[in-house]
Amino acid sequence: MPTTTQPAPTNNSAAVEALGAVYELADVSKIYGSGSTQVRALDSIDLKVAPGEFVAIVGASGSGKTTLLQLLGALDRPTSGRISLRGEDLTTLGDRELTRLRRDTIGFVFQQFNLIPTLTAAGNVEVAIATGKDSAQQRADRVGELLAAVGLAGRANHLPSQMSGGEQQRVAIARALANRPAVLLADEPTGNLDTKTGSEIIDLLNDLVENAGQTIVLITHEPAIAAAAGRTISLKDGHILADSATTSDRGARRRQTLAG
Amino acid sequence: MFFLNYMFSELRRRRGRTILTALGLAVGVGLVVMVNALSTGLDNAQASVLKPLTGVGTDMSVTRPLKVTSNGSGGFGALSPAQQKQLRKEVGGGPGVAFASLKAGSKIDTDTFRASGDLTFSSSELESISRVKGVAAVAGSLTLTDTHLSGTVPKVKITQSQTGGGRQGRGAPSFGPASGALSGGSIKTSSLTVTGVDQTKSSLGAVTPSQITKGKYFSQGGNAYEAIVSTGYANSNSLSVGSKVTIGGKTFDVIGISSAPLGGSASDVYVKLATLQKLAGYTDQIDTAEVQAANASDVTAVSNAIGKQFKRSQVTTASDLASRVSGSLTDAKNLASKLGAALEVIALIAAVLIASLLTLSSVAKRVREIGTLKAVGWSRLQVVRQICGEALGQGVLGGLVGIVVGIAGVAVINALGWTLKATVASPAGAGGGGPGFGFGQAASSAITAGSTAVKVTAVASGGLILVAVCLAVLGGLASGAIGGLRAARLRPAAALRTVE
Repeated sequence: MPTTTQPAPTNNSAAVEALGAVYELADVSKIYGSGSTQVRALDSIDLKVAPGEFVAIVGASGSGKTTLLQLLGALDRPTSGRISLRGEDLTTLGDRELTRLRRDTIGFVFQQFNLIPTLTAAGNVEVAIATGKDSAQQRADRVGELLAAVGLAGRANHLPSQMSGGEQQRVAIARALANRPAVLLADEPTGNLDTKTGSEIIDLLNDLVENAGQTIVLITHEPAIAAAAGRTISLKDGHILADSATTSDRGARRRQTLAG
Repeated sequence: MFFLNYMFSELRRRRGRTILTALGLAVGVGLVVMVNALSTGLDNAQASVLKPLTGVGTDMSVTRPLKVTSNGSGGFGALSPAQQKQLRKEVGGGPGVAFASLKAGSKIDTDTFRASGDLTFSSSELESISRVKGVAAVAGSLTLTDTHLSGTVPKVKITQSQTGGGRQGRGAPSFGPASGALSGGSIKTSSLTVTGVDQTKSSLGAVTPSQITKGKYFSQGGNAYEAIVSTGYANSNSLSVGSKVTIGGKTFDVIGISSAPLGGSASDVYVKLATLQKLAGYTDQIDTAEVQAANASDVTAVSNAIGKQFKRSQVTTASDLASRVSGSLTDAKNLASKLGAALEVIALIAAVLIASLLTLSSVAKRVREIGTLKAVGWSRLQVVRQICGEALGQGVLGGLVGIVVGIAGVAVINALGWTLKATVASPAGAGGGGPGFGFGQAASSAITAGSTAVKVTAVASGGLILVAVCLAVLGGLASGAIGGLRAARLRPAAALRTVE
């Protein structure tokens, strides 16, 4: 897991306690279009995500999963309501602050990996830290650490087209972790992988939660992956249908999953 | 530097797109280089055509052309009485053939000298021209047409010729050597133009040392009967240096052959001015003053001053000559300046358009990639910089390829050995002549109509190449700006699009 030359925010329990919840959503709605073509993608969502939680959001397509992930990732703004990320209200921040937040606080993992096809594995990881103030040497060292952490130390100079799907997703996870984000958001990270490779990726994510206290929110429609997460939230037509955190002891569920 | 690394990766790994964009710009830039190089080549070609007049020191020539209108038979009558009198004297004068005295079987061997279109004037006028402010040097010359008649008068024709001959012998201006009665007989006629030049002012005048292709220029003093013949006359009469040529009954030694450049005087034979004046009975008379201005920029002012002071004169400057150059050279020059400029603009617009469209299509194909960059924390500016950097790289590449294309095009043009014809027309007003006049050689004695072929050599200068690269870089920047603006508007949520 990312070797920490400085304490990762999510590793510092004192800091985490001081900040409280990672996410706090209050009465969040998102409406696309207007008039007769108006679509209410999210309808008055209330949600809290605590540090170190591994949350799976499930639901049929059109249930609002992707919209929720866009709002959590500061990629889009809600039509109404309030979203705070570690105490910062996303709905009041300008483009510049949202960009900074995406770089420093949020890590993204995509279903299609979204690697830049012309860059090597190392280059794809470096993309995330290239806009920071680190020197070239510092960046190279960090990229090496990250690739080693996801088990790709020997693949640094390979292009995405020269790697398997699982390897590409590992590169994407390394990229997402590059800035030691407070939260890792994943959009069906195993959707493009076979079952075996998919479970390897889930093991990697679980490992991050267990050993580094990484907060993860992922979207999936595979029950097995949802079961691996400590908490499952079911969405339907923009509403939260069920939230396992309110029905059972999530710590017990997580331990149970890991044991199995 | 990560951004450069990323840029070069894009350019290198998306080779097809890079080459296509660069080629689009390269064709535009190459065309600009070619058209401009060709235009420079045509300028050089025109300059080489005009050099005979502008390059040898003569800035302008002063003549007194006959102001003959071309409206029917009124030509002679339109002249002032003084001009009519002078013209009668010049055209009808001299040792003409005394037709009335011809007897059957008698031998004829005679020369007639006539002025070749311009009125003559006293060489003392040179003095007054030289006193005009701005005149550095002035030299006189005299161009005459020598008609030589020789042979035996045929019997039958004589009686007929005798009756009409008396009238002809009175020196009417319609006098002509090609009269049917004479040419039909066994009498041979030949004519040549001869120009007397002031050999003491060799840099000014109808023939200059630089025009001598074989032999040498006139001696200062020395033998009075030296002749320089034009290449054309030498060829058609099998003359060479050391040959003899007979003019007005006198034998001249051919000491040199001169090239007859376009725009210069194209007489058959050049002799010393004093010799010709004496031989033809034109003592102290000249018909052209060649003038050199002290300063090239004063030519127009000096030309106007001379025109004012020297009544009824015509001052022809080198730029007047330039305006009379026609033929394929001029057509090509016009084409290059009009069509060429349009071609350049169209090529550049097309090149920038192609580059912009390709950049836009590249941005459209990379919507998810650009969304991802934004999702991982790239600012709008950083994304735009990336897209612009790539387009700029393609621009630089296009510029370099464009130079190669342009230089190759220039080399092809030069290898084709494109030859253009240039024609110098007679000055307006001096040519033509009324129908009643026998001015066969009515052109100005200073500038002779004629044509020449010039090989066009396209020249691609360093400055031109620099401009071309700048154009390509600007084209790249323009396409980058268009693509960058598009990329800047993309939302980071595009990263979550599931379809490519």
